[in-house]
Amino acid sequence: MPREYVVARTSEIPEGSHRIVRVGRREIGVFNMGGVWHAIPNLCPHQRGPLCEGAISGTLGYGPDTDWKLDWVHEGEIVTCPWHALEWHVPSGRCLAFPDMRLRKFPTRVDGAEVRVIL
Amino acid sequence: MAPIVQEQQSPEQDTLESLFVVDADVHIHEDPAGMADYAPSPWDVALREIAKVPERYLDLPGMSPRAEYRVPWPGGSNRKQTVDSASEMRSGLNDLNVDRAVLFPDHLLALAMVRDPRFAVALAQSYNAWLRDHWLLAEPTLKGSLVIAPQDPVASAEDIRRHAGEPEFVCVYLPASGVRPLYGHHVYEPVYEAAAEAGLPVVMHSVEAVYPTFPFQLEVFQTSLAQHAVAHPFSMMANMISLLETGVPVRYPDLGIGIMEAGISWVPFMLNRLDKEYTERRREVPFLQERPSHYIKRWYFGTQPIEEPENRGDIVKLFELFDGAERSMFASDWPHHDFDHPQYVFGLPFSPSDRRAIMGGNAARFFRLEA
Ligand code: FES
Repeated sequence: MPREYVVARTSEIPEGSHRIVRVGRREIGVFNMGGVWHAIPNLCPHQRGPLCEGAISGTLGYGPDTDWKLDWVHEGEIVTCPWHALEWHVPSGRCLAFPDMRLRKFPTRVDGAEVRVIL
Repeated sequence: MAPIVQEQQSPEQDTLESLFVVDADVHIHEDPAGMADYAPSPWDVALREIAKVPERYLDLPGMSPRAEYRVPWPGGSNRKQTVDSASEMRSGLNDLNVDRAVLFPDHLLALAMVRDPRFAVALAQSYNAWLRDHWLLAEPTLKGSLVIAPQDPVASAEDIRRHAGEPEFVCVYLPASGVRPLYGHHVYEPVYEAAAEAGLPVVMHSVEAVYPTFPFQLEVFQTSLAQHAVAHPFSMMANMISLLETGVPVRYPDLGIGIMEAGISWVPFMLNRLDKEYTERRREVPFLQERPSHYIKRWYFGTQPIEEPENRGDIVKLFELFDGAERSMFASDWPHHDFDHPQYVFGLPFSPSDRRAIMGGNAARFFRLEA
């Protein structure tokens, strides 16, 4: 049965920031991206680095979405693993370098001033 | 089905924690002011000046020349990629389950590109003495590589003799980035003589740089992906060929030779290429009594940056192509940007005995370490 865990107060994770919380033996990165909440494991699928200790930024894109021009994209949505700098798009859980690699995403819910993660 | 389960649970089942793990290549961060205490005048003054300059990753004006150019996009790793003390190194290595490690420098990776040979010698000598006092004597599980200044092989040989017999040092480090001439040249004979006499193997290690010497004219590329892809392996290939073509392994048969930070997948290519050339051009290298690959198969190779093919079993096949299981040494390159966690190499599908050799046994033999 999925359970909800209160992991933080909304005021503790202002927009554009994130924090690592512990639920049981799991470490989870909780991100507030423009008022939208995301929760992902603090474990990089590459070599098990502490992914959510990485910095948030945008990144460079080039493709149909950027009209086949080099452009700065996904500002505020990319977390870069501190170990070997693999980039992850937090809202989709996608690894930019290896599209077949995906992060597990935990559902979140805000209840009043509480941020909850559902496991 | 039952036998398979039994096999998995046999005492052969090592874990990273239970194995004796030697890390053949980790990097320490120099303290120019600390080194100044060991430098002869006037170079101590220069080092104290350098200590006042703000530094960047592997880039310290006055000490680590490299014509680096990168567009400053935000992002990238935010991890601290330097280690400043023996205790900090020990605790980082504890997290990696590393029992013994061989220390290489940060800024002095670029030592061969320092222009003033007198300063290069002062840097090497003060680093070696500082390293021994502040790192090796402080933490006996850390072992030293004795850096030479290739700009002055005679002075370097003197420094090797000065430290010969100090058990804290386990190899002589030949900085390969931007080195000219390449390490097969006869000018380096004093270094090989002194190293062989001291019973220390030599280890070549490069670093990414753009420099007007083969194979570092990397300004032809636009990205660091391109430059870094070739900087280390091209440099190791060039020096490997150079040592071979002048017969260093023949002239110094007892000299151990090691290669760091170039991965391993280029090694089978190089062996086959040299053997092929040898069939036609043996007369140019008459001192070789056997095909080149037979000599190089006696050398030792650090694993980092270990290749990450989609099929991990491919790495085992690559090792087979150069007898790598008998000569490869796990190396993490901690704490640098492209370090390998030992768990990855440990988890590759090697046989249990090959795994033990690669994770520590080979390095213990090469560096003459006690378990
Ligand atoms: S562990 Fe995250 S990029 Fe390697």
